[in-house]
Amino acid sequence: MKPTETDSTAVDWRGDSTSSSDVTRRERLKESYETRVRTPALVAWSDWRTRFGLLIIAGYILMALVAVLGLWREPSTSQAPRLLGPFVDMSYPLGTTQSGVDLMALIIHSTPTFLILITAGAVWATLIAVIIGTVAGYKGGSVDRGLMSFSDLVMAIPGLPLVIILAVTLNPENPVVLGVIINISYWAGLGRSLRSQVLTIRENNYVEASRTMGISTPRIILKDIIPNLMPYITVNFVFAARYVMFASVGLYFLGVLPYSTQNWGVTLNFAYSNGALFSWQAAHWILAPMIAIMGLSLGLILLGQGLDRVFNPRVRTRMAGESKSTAGEGDDDTVTEVF
Amino acid sequence: MASHTTADERYDDPTGESDPIIELNNAKVTYDGGETFVLDDVSLSVERNEVVGVVGESGSGKSMLASAMLDAIPDPGQLSGEVLYHRPDGTTVDVLELSDEELRQFRWEEVAMVFQGAMSSFNPTMKIGGHFEETLKAHDARVSEGMEFARELLSDLYLDPERVLDSYPHELSGGMTQRALIALSLVLEPDVLVMDEPTAALDLLMQRSILTLLEELQQKYDLTMVFITHDLPLVAALADRMAVMYAFDLIEVAPRDQLIGNSGHPYTRALLNSTPNLDAPLEEMRPIEGQSPAPVNVPDGCSYAPRCPLATDECREVDPEFYKTGDDHRTACHRWEEARERITLNFETAEDGAASGGSEGGT
Amino acid sequence: MVNYYVRRTARVLVTIFLVASLTFGLVRLLPGGPFTLLRAQLLRQGVPADEVDARIANLQNIRPDEPLWMQYIDYMTALVQGNLGESISLGEPVVSVLAKAAPWTVFVVLVSTILVFVVGIFLGSLQAYWEGSRFDQLVTGVSISMMSLPFYVVAVLLLYVFAYQFGWLPTAGTISNSVDRSLSVPFVVSALKHSILPIVSYTLGAAGGQALAMRGNSIQVLGNDYVQVARLRGLSDRRIATRYVARNAILPLYTGFLLLLGFRLGGTVILEQIFSYTGLGYYMITALNANDYPLMMGTFLVITVALVIGVYIADLTYSRIDPRISAGESDEAY
Repeated sequence: MKPTETDSTAVDWRGDSTSSSDVTRRERLKESYETRVRTPALVAWSDWRTRFGLLIIAGYILMALVAVLGLWREPSTSQAPRLLGPFVDMSYPLGTTQSGVDLMALIIHSTPTFLILITAGAVWATLIAVIIGTVAGYKGGSVDRGLMSFSDLVMAIPGLPLVIILAVTLNPENPVVLGVIINISYWAGLGRSLRSQVLTIRENNYVEASRTMGISTPRIILKDIIPNLMPYITVNFVFAARYVMFASVGLYFLGVLPYSTQNWGVTLNFAYSNGALFSWQAAHWILAPMIAIMGLSLGLILLGQGLDRVFNPRVRTRMAGESKSTAGEGDDDTVTEVF
Repeated sequence: MASHTTADERYDDPTGESDPIIELNNAKVTYDGGETFVLDDVSLSVERNEVVGVVGESGSGKSMLASAMLDAIPDPGQLSGEVLYHRPDGTTVDVLELSDEELRQFRWEEVAMVFQGAMSSFNPTMKIGGHFEETLKAHDARVSEGMEFARELLSDLYLDPERVLDSYPHELSGGMTQRALIALSLVLEPDVLVMDEPTAALDLLMQRSILTLLEELQQKYDLTMVFITHDLPLVAALADRMAVMYAFDLIEVAPRDQLIGNSGHPYTRALLNSTPNLDAPLEEMRPIEGQSPAPVNVPDGCSYAPRCPLATDECREVDPEFYKTGDDHRTACHRWEEARERITLNFETAEDGAASGGSEGGT
Repeated sequence: MVNYYVRRTARVLVTIFLVASLTFGLVRLLPGGPFTLLRAQLLRQGVPADEVDARIANLQNIRPDEPLWMQYIDYMTALVQGNLGESISLGEPVVSVLAKAAPWTVFVVLVSTILVFVVGIFLGSLQAYWEGSRFDQLVTGVSISMMSLPFYVVAVLLLYVFAYQFGWLPTAGTISNSVDRSLSVPFVVSALKHSILPIVSYTLGAAGGQALAMRGNSIQVLGNDYVQVARLRGLSDRRIATRYVARNAILPLYTGFLLLLGFRLGGTVILEQIFSYTGLGYYMITALNANDYPLMMGTFLVITVALVIGVYIADLTYSRIDPRISAGESDEAY
């Protein structure tokens, strides 16, 4: 059956054509906000790990506020009967130490120091790692080789011993300086893995486009490369913070770091050396700081894991439902499970 | 009006010499315990030594069709139905009934599959040669003979056998890995080769050359091929028969010339019109508006009805069975005659113009 | 390839050289502290001034009144000859102290790090295989909990329970004092008993982290095309599990291994303190508390060298396992 060419009932099989509308700048911003901020935030929140992690950290921030605003007494010796058990006297809910110091006060008033400490350390490590990693990865050639040789040298020096020596030499008391010192060589591993990721990203078309347009290197790195790394950076920021905390507490525990007032690690040290390990009456003395440490690190780990899951969905080929995978550290990651 | 004869035969056998090698009967792939399906009761019979081109857009279920032939539907999909494989010696097996061990031997020895994206089909930490050797060993084949054959295959595909066998996948180009994968799929001399978009990731020139190579291989080794793609004109040159899939079901199956020149389905005709074609004027080329349905959302009645210009109430309510619209040509459309009349194919207009202007000496 | 090995070895030497120079610099930075004290002490005892100088110079391998660059050369030459100075607090050459201490540290770190990987990889693969099962969830939960406990807390708790409470294991030291320090069965048994708690506490948390990483990697690898293709090619499950999944999942963990080694060698300063385990880390802290700078710097140097060598060995083996590595340097400069 041959179709006739002058068929007036010829069907327009094309269907309706939709007119394309202009996308306003406002809509673009809104869309950007949706995809970049709101959606990942929602996905992150939906994961119980992120929720819990954030809640726990919020709790600690609250404690820090309490300390800063002076809403709870400061710790001092002989402010209360010695070695009072926990929950016995509710004005000293966690009990007291051998010298009569209120444990609750100890815990609360160390919090701001620690929060500053870990933030400073994490910021330092992440910032340096990002700068060095992206520049080395993007620039390539001799810049890359030079930076990576330097980074290898830093990685060759074991972290804690170096920190100990620096601590002894410089005697820092400022938590910010302390945070930086503790993480002084942490950036090297992170920088390396960032660099290898940048090596892949820079092959993308839009990077090449930016280069041909003559956009300056810092701007390319800032606008084209770093946004792609944000998930990885965020997750590792949290892990860096966790490392600082563990390292600092450990060093206080050893008695290596200088302190003016007690903090969790120092309290641990005192409790331990005073034999709190062996008597049941003094157990709360060593347990309280231990729990405080565990709590914050648990919060950080959960947050890190939850964030990692947002950005690295590792779903096995299952169509229905999500896998309950906790992605762990991911490929090529800095691994800090020494502690 | 022409009679609406429904055709249930999977293969209309005009000469009575039907010799199917693999038959898909009522193959259905469901998820969520039957809630959603991605292959809807599909039946297709493939003749020995023929090339069947299966065409469809992304998400039409064509990959499921390919995987069904090897019982390789990924979890948690459930495949039901029959996949009958007729061996040269006359025995028949239902692939879905094979035990794990039998299935393991069946795969690659009798039916092999080539995927899109050859680079990701190889183990990145193994050399190409290693892949060949381990495949031979896994099937208890003689390794040295097998490797000789592999070298022959690689040369047939215009590859340097030693170089390729000694390389890692990432050391080869896209076209080379694709060809290496094809060689790997043939190393156990299967009877059927199923190819799922084997050329999609390659440039046009490479695509054409691989097609030519496939044609040569098909003739040299008496292969039956099932070629799955979204690119209709690509497979048209190679195929003996063609099948069109839409919304997880076959909507038309016909010999190649019939399908292209005399299709009975509005979708097929629209598909043909949307293909760039040197014979047709540029303005006549248009995409098909709208989207094909998602697995959870397949409409009652004819699944193409929402986009079809010829749709009537009957179309929207009654899911069309296959109508016989020619020799070995079946179409799942109630309005197939109208489709032929009213939906003009753009290259036909040009031909018609030339034909009708013939008396004026034609230009 | 030979070129690569040569370069790599050269790098090791250069690194050690640089670190040694670094320690020299750090020594300069150190507050005059102990030496001023010691000097005052000796002078008070009536020791002649230049002998005091000589003694102090001996301790640090530096002559304070010489120009800096000469001091540097003295220091480096002494180093090359294996002279790390003399320990103030122990009165022994630093080298002999460390020679006795180093094997213990290396033993603990090596065994525990290998365990971390073996256990972690094993658990992680099982978890990926039985993804979503109760086993998987349990191990994940335990791993996360263990990760929030720093190893020293675990160490203290284990010490308390197993050593003090139950008395099954010794509370301190590397070897029982009553055992003869020669290669004999009692020696080995005692060494093992003393190293169990340090090794276990150093392994637990980290193994959990590795398990999670392995799990994640394995799940990702399992989703890769080539695994599916391998199945279609009729390869056996065993072959796929080892050569396809495990091999590819373990690869990314290797770089983590290098970093882990570094952290763990450094972490011995805390670990050994808790168990009074007389290894390198222990002596570093001892030196610190006694203001014994030569010992401190010597220990630091030795720990660093151990790390450099460890990384070197791991590095050499890495390129044999992953064929995609080609010295890892980018050639195109932008």
